[in-house]
Amino acid sequence: MTAAKRKPFFLWRHLNKLRWLSLSLVFAMLVALPCLHVYQTYRAAHAYDLLAPSEQRFYDIMETLTSPLTDDPAEDLDVVKGSTWSGNFWGLKLSDPLAALGHISAGLTLYWPFLLTALIPLVITAIFGRIFCGWLCPANFLYELNTNLTAWLQWAGLKVGHRRFDRRIKYLVLAVGLLLSVFSGSIMVAAVYPPAIVGRELYYGIAQGGFGVGMVFFAGTLLFDLLVARRGFCRYLCPGGALYSLLGRYRLVRLRRLVEACNDCRKCNAVCEFELDPWRDGFGQECTNCAACIAICPTNAMTFDIRPFDHPEQGPGHLGQRYRRGREEQMDEAV
Amino acid sequence: MGGGALAALATAGAPSTAGAASRRYLRPPGAVAEEEFLSRCIHCGQCGEACPNRCIKYFGAENGHAAIDTPYIIPREKGCILCMKCGDVCPSGAIQPIPREAEAILDNVAMGHAVVDENLCLSFQGKTCGVCYRACPLPDVAIYVAMLEQPHVTDKCVGCGLCERSCIQMPQAIRVMPNRG
Repeated sequence: MTAAKRKPFFLWRHLNKLRWLSLSLVFAMLVALPCLHVYQTYRAAHAYDLLAPSEQRFYDIMETLTSPLTDDPAEDLDVVKGSTWSGNFWGLKLSDPLAALGHISAGLTLYWPFLLTALIPLVITAIFGRIFCGWLCPANFLYELNTNLTAWLQWAGLKVGHRRFDRRIKYLVLAVGLLLSVFSGSIMVAAVYPPAIVGRELYYGIAQGGFGVGMVFFAGTLLFDLLVARRGFCRYLCPGGALYSLLGRYRLVRLRRLVEACNDCRKCNAVCEFELDPWRDGFGQECTNCAACIAICPTNAMTFDIRPFDHPEQGPGHLGQRYRRGREEQMDEAV
Repeated sequence: MGGGALAALATAGAPSTAGAASRRYLRPPGAVAEEEFLSRCIHCGQCGEACPNRCIKYFGAENGHAAIDTPYIIPREKGCILCMKCGDVCPSGAIQPIPREAEAILDNVAMGHAVVDENLCLSFQGKTCGVCYRACPLPDVAIYVAMLEQPHVTDKCVGCGLCERSCIQMPQAIRVMPNRG
């Protein structure tokens, strides 16, 4: 392995765009599914003539969108239901590992038909780490947009929050949430887990006539991120993020800094949504493999590696001043 | 949070009385007994999203914290048409899958039981009505009508609530009493 000659695969710089596409698609799906559901109920009721004009317009739009795909929407559109919390995709049921763990805690039983639906996400997390958070989570989509909004508002003069807390708090939240689930006999973690809330609330808002109590909580987390701590909920409080971090601790695919190409600019640390330390090779279990640090690196010094542990700290980047000074001092000493 | 846990312990011991004290609601068809239902439901909302009749609603905070985001049906607002799609889509076993056949439904669905108030029922007041009987998806099995269309509910009633939904009397003369176990 001649690390000095290694260069990151050129497409990895563009992974961050792919990630935004993925986040947008998931969010679009969570908006589309309740719309399809409402359209299905209109179809099932044969009620076009009884609909209000706005509902008829909605019906027409949905008919235009779905007519190439199916002749019998009321039945055929049942193939995709649910959200990232738990969903049914053409008969394949997938669930969030936190849903499985919460289910075990609430009932203190192992109901395998449900637990197995979390198997595929579990395996993917074991290989790729916390990619649910970075690539799929519909709440992350809104939180990252919120980060951008925060930057604009700060530029416009608003005093935004940059407080830091202990990132281990979220593991405590996970433990307490599961304990409360045990004591209450109901899956309490679902009430404080943003992706579950966003999926549910979009459905409530579109198909049930209005948002529920979860929206208040979610709005609170957005304000927390804006006014108290950047990405505060994900970094410090999210029970699902905590679980994914634990599951992804020994992930195989992880980011790595190529020290010979690094110039110590620290843009990777600035861009990291999760307060990690890529500049000093500190990715750790909480890295979401979001690839934002690859995209921003001006010297192509970030790449992926396949190994179950982080690379040990490699010292200052070889293109940076610190390294050059160190070399000069060494040479002076040698002379 | 500690108070919540204590309240949770209190309600977990007696979920049926907690339910009885609140609104008269049904769980979707195939739902397991209430305490087990609360422990199994993961609040994903798929049962409502599968419901072609949109009779499944979700609790906010009004019915206690353990019931937040769990599905319910208010029969007077909209009864269940027994399509059984919610059981098919439920991932966590809170609503059991039941085939959409009369026998399977009669054997396995126990949402509640309809009760006729003869003081309110038009047919018992000499005005032949029979609307509840005609609304019933299991006519002559769950409900039959005698002289003057007077309705009589049998033990086989599964509690879908279509009779209560359709009752033309105000207030309704037939009501589904929930059987949440």
